[in-house]
Amino acid sequence: MKLTTYLQLFTAGSSLLFSGMAFSQRGGNIPDLIPFPMEFETSTEHYDYLLDYYEGGVVHDYMSVPKWEGLWSAGGDSGIRGQTMFLDEDGEIIPGVLTPEYEDAFRYRLDLADQAYNAGVDFDRLTTCEPAGIPRWFMEPYVREFINTPTYSLWHNDLANDTRRIYINQEHVNIDGTHFAVGDSIGFWAEDEELGDILVVHTEDIYPGDFFRGTPPTSNQAETVEIWYEWWDAENDQMKVAVNVYFYDDLMLQEPLNLVYTYQYRQDMLDAGLRIRYWECAQNDNTYLTFDEEGRPMTQYRLPGEPGYVDPRGASQTRNPDLPPGLVGQEKNPVFDDAFDFEF
Amino acid sequence: MKISTRKLFAVALAVVTFGAAGFASAHHSFAMFDRSQEVVMNDMEVVRWAFNSPHVALYARDSDGQVWAFEGAAPASLVTRAPAMNGFTFQPGDMVDIIHCPLVDGRSGGAVGIVIKDGEWYGPNDGGCGAGGHRDAWRDWVSKGYMSLAEAMEAGEEMP
Repeated sequence: MKLTTYLQLFTAGSSLLFSGMAFSQRGGNIPDLIPFPMEFETSTEHYDYLLDYYEGGVVHDYMSVPKWEGLWSAGGDSGIRGQTMFLDEDGEIIPGVLTPEYEDAFRYRLDLADQAYNAGVDFDRLTTCEPAGIPRWFMEPYVREFINTPTYSLWHNDLANDTRRIYINQEHVNIDGTHFAVGDSIGFWAEDEELGDILVVHTEDIYPGDFFRGTPPTSNQAETVEIWYEWWDAENDQMKVAVNVYFYDDLMLQEPLNLVYTYQYRQDMLDAGLRIRYWECAQNDNTYLTFDEEGRPMTQYRLPGEPGYVDPRGASQTRNPDLPPGLVGQEKNPVFDDAFDFEF
Repeated sequence: MKISTRKLFAVALAVVTFGAAGFASAHHSFAMFDRSQEVVMNDMEVVRWAFNSPHVALYARDSDGQVWAFEGAAPASLVTRAPAMNGFTFQPGDMVDIIHCPLVDGRSGGAVGIVIKDGEWYGPNDGGCGAGGHRDAWRDWVSKGYMSLAEAMEAGEEMP
């Protein structure tokens, strides 16, 4: 029996009633949401259910493991950027989605942004080069790579060098006893009759974060169950990698969310010669958090020559202070050396 | 003009309804740029073009010797625009015209909208400046001698 058929049988009468289905699918052509099979107390229970359903999954070798190499970028989602799960079409908070405390926090954030200069979201926690983390990792628009091996997957988002590691057929291990921006992820491969090869992932121990700037905060109780698969976008004649994310957060949400994200293969970027480079926080650091005269947070920008400015190319002010000053060849990039001597 | 955040999200919702997510968002907000202004600066000498994530930066000297700093979008976006840009598109000594959205506080910088070099119109802009989104209008306005969006509007031009 197909997973989706199986799940649909379970969903009849489910009190969850596919929380995500309430949100129309927006943001480009995306696959249908895969509904919750039933109500689970925890994400671990949900993951274990899928592990049982797929009879432990399949073990791949290097030849058979699905190959998703190359460059990909965000290719549409179920309305996360537009906050369709939290705001109605008039921009008002949808009641009953967030817990009272997190709804209040969301309202506080929105009201603060309404007062700010641009009446937009005038501060973004990524300003200080903080990694996107989960769940924001799913929708960041920059370039990413998916490297799958039989024993683990490395999924790299070039934003802030934010890499997820998915340990295949393993248990959660957290010897540090702390949380992380992208949490700790385990998973198993399986064969679904309808979706083909799928990778089911469970992630826990995640920092508090957000879905995007200006969205409600997530808490340090956030956990995910994810179903990853290849999806052919026939309408756009385009291969995509899709993920159905079941987002659990008892402190933030009254019920778990059901979301879809997709990633489109970027042959055009490959053809242009683009390669993912190390995310250069020196550039990033020239924006910083500040406060206006009313004490409201906003983002400001340092210009060259101003205190704290970090040069994104050229001589570093902080590297190798134990070397003689003026040592030849120590600029980060030699291409435009002759342009570094300008005055601001 | 004051627009509520909620309305912005409602607009964003409408936008994403009709298009897949792209590169229109940066890693930080654009609060420091005045997106309601678009200003032309002619005869700027490029002193540095930093083609690195998360934002490219173009540094250029004006005729008074003042160096200005302009922020643009991510390299991953620029390589697929038309015309495409790379790390060598602008080099020290190149003379360019720049249309930008200035910093709110008046310092010598802003968000780049359009860069014109040797008659080629480049759009390295990120969400900090909308000028790159209406390049055709700016071709017309520049030919008429307008030096800012405000001038164009005062002269009766319409926003595309």
